[in-house]
Amino acid sequence: MKKNYYLEKLYNSKKPFIIYKVNGGYDLYTDFSEKVFLNNKNIFNFFNKIEKIKNKKIFLSLYIGFFGYEILCNLNNVKIPKQKSLKFPKSIFYKPETKIQIRKGITIKSSHKNYKELFGKKIFNQNSILSPFKINIDINKYKNIFNQFSKKIKEGKTYQIKICTKYKNKSLIDPVNLFWKLMKTNAAPESFMIRDKNFSIVSCSPESLIEKKGNKIKTKPIAGTLKKTYKTNMRKALSFFKNNIKETKEHNMIVDMERNDLSKICKPGSVKLSKIKYVEEYKNLYHYVTKIEGIIQKNIKIKDIIVAMMPGGSVIGCPKISTLNLLNLQEKESRNIFTGSFGFIKFNGDMRFNIIIRSILNYKNISEIAVASGVVVDSTHANEFKENYIKAKSLIDLYK
Amino acid sequence: MIYIIDHKDSFTHNIVHQFSKFDKHVECENFNEINYNKLKKANVIVFSPGPGAPKDYITSSKIYRKFKKKKKIIGICLGFQQILYNENAKIIQQSKIYHGFQSLIKVTSNKSLFEKNKVFKVGRYHSLKLKEPFFAKNFEITMRCKISNVAMTIENQIDQIYGFQFHPESFLTENGNLLIKKILSA
Repeated sequence: MKKNYYLEKLYNSKKPFIIYKVNGGYDLYTDFSEKVFLNNKNIFNFFNKIEKIKNKKIFLSLYIGFFGYEILCNLNNVKIPKQKSLKFPKSIFYKPETKIQIRKGITIKSSHKNYKELFGKKIFNQNSILSPFKINIDINKYKNIFNQFSKKIKEGKTYQIKICTKYKNKSLIDPVNLFWKLMKTNAAPESFMIRDKNFSIVSCSPESLIEKKGNKIKTKPIAGTLKKTYKTNMRKALSFFKNNIKETKEHNMIVDMERNDLSKICKPGSVKLSKIKYVEEYKNLYHYVTKIEGIIQKNIKIKDIIVAMMPGGSVIGCPKISTLNLLNLQEKESRNIFTGSFGFIKFNGDMRFNIIIRSILNYKNISEIAVASGVVVDSTHANEFKENYIKAKSLIDLYK
Repeated sequence: MIYIIDHKDSFTHNIVHQFSKFDKHVECENFNEINYNKLKKANVIVFSPGPGAPKDYITSSKIYRKFKKKKKIIGICLGFQQILYNENAKIIQQSKIYHGFQSLIKVTSNKSLFEKNKVFKVGRYHSLKLKEPFFAKNFEITMRCKISNVAMTIENQIDQIYGFQFHPESFLTENGNLLIKKILSA
C-alpha cells in the first residue's frame, strides 16, 4: 500500500470513496456531489439524463456505482418472489469530484480547490468479528437443490444453472484494511471497493463484462477455474481445460451466449471472437477465458446495452431468462450485490462494468460472501459444493 | 423478409446475425409477442432454439400449422423439435445430454441438399431428441450424429421445411453459413 499523507487522512476519515483497479494501479474516486439510488421507476430516467448532458467534457464526467442482482432481473422483466432480505439498496451511483490515481506515484485531480481540507471527523476503524461465518445452505440442502436442477437440465428447461450459497458473520470491519490486504494476495483486474457511511463492499472480481469505447464493445467471459499448485503452469492449465470435457462444454456455452448478448446491440456480422479459449494466470488460480467484441449499432441507448448484457451470463447459466426464473423460484434469500455489476458510465456513453463476484458486502454489521458454481449434466453435488467453498475461502481468510 | 420467432433463448440473436448475411430484412420477436402483420409478409419463418419442449409453445405450433406449405419454414434445436412434434413425432429425453458439445455429423441420405457422406463438425445444445422410427409425408432425415446416430436434420423439399437439431449459428459449427445459405436459396 502506498503511504501518502492525503490518502492516510482520507482512510482515517468518514468520507465515502470508491477504488477501482486499473492497468498498473488503482483509481480512487471521492468528494461525491451526487448519490443516486436507482429503482425500477427512476432507472431509465437516470440513463436518459446522462444521454442528454450537453457538456460531455466537464471534470470527471462519469457516474460510478453498482447495479444489484434484483434490479438487473427486473430490467429483463424477470420478477423475484418475496425473499429474506437485508433491504440493501438495489443500485447506487455516485458523481465524483476528486480522483486520485494510485500508480507508482500518486496524482490528485479535483474540482474542489481545497480538496486537501475536506475530511471531516477522524475515526479509528478496527476489524472485530462478533460471530463466526455460517453457511446458509448445508450440503444436504445443496444436494436437494442440485438434484432438482439436474432434473430441469434433463427436461431441457436449462442447460446450465449456478447455485448460490452464502457465508455470513457478524462483524465490524475496516474495508480499507481488508481491501489492501486482499490486493496483496489477489489484485484481480476488476477489483474494487466502496466505502460509504453505512455499508462497504470489498471485491477481487476477475471478470470484465462490458468495456465500451466509442462504438466498440468488448466482453471477456470466464468459464473454467483451476487451482494453482507447484505442479501447474500456464501450458498445463491450458491442456487441462482443453482435455476436460465438462469445462470445455461450459465454456462453449458461455461463449455462444455472450456472442448472442452482444448481437442484440451490435451491427450484424461485427461480433467476433478476438481471442478464443486462452488461460489467464492469477495468484492462486488459472481461468479459462475468451474475448468477444463487436461494433454497436446506431441508435442503441445506454439502457439497451445494460439490458442486453446484464446480469452477466457466465455467472447465471443458460438460457438466461428461463434460468433466472428457475433460480429465483428456488432462492430464499436476496443476492443483493452478488452477480450484479459494478463500474462506470461516462457522459459520452463509454462504460466499464464488471461482474460482482468474489466480494464481501458489509451492511448492518453483517458481512456476507456469496459464491456460485454450476450444475451441468456431468457435475456432482459434492464437487460443486466444494468449489463454492474454495471460491469463498480466500475472502473468509481475510478475517483471520 | 425472414421472421424469427424467439423462444426466449440465449442463442437466438446469433441466428439473427447469421440470417442477416443473406437477407437485409430480418425481424425477430418473442413467441408471446408475435406481430402477425409482419409475420404474414415474411417469406421465411424461423423457429428458434429455446428451453423446454415443443408442447410448451402452443402459439408456435399454431403458426407452424397455419403457414406450412405457404412459406419456407426453418427450425433450429427446439424449433426442429417443434416441426417434428407437429408432424406427430414423439420428442423424448436422451440418456446422454449434449450441451456445448462439438460433434461430427454425417449426411446419410441422397435426398439431401447436401452431398451424401459429407461430414460436418457442429455445436449441439439439446436434452431432448426425436424418437424413431419417424415417418411423415415428404419428410426425410438427412443427417445423423456419427457416433449415436441421433437425427440431426430433416428436410422436406416439396413443402420447403428444414430443421436442424444442432446449432448452425454456434461458433462450434464449421460451415454453418454455408448450410443456411443453401437452404435459403433452395
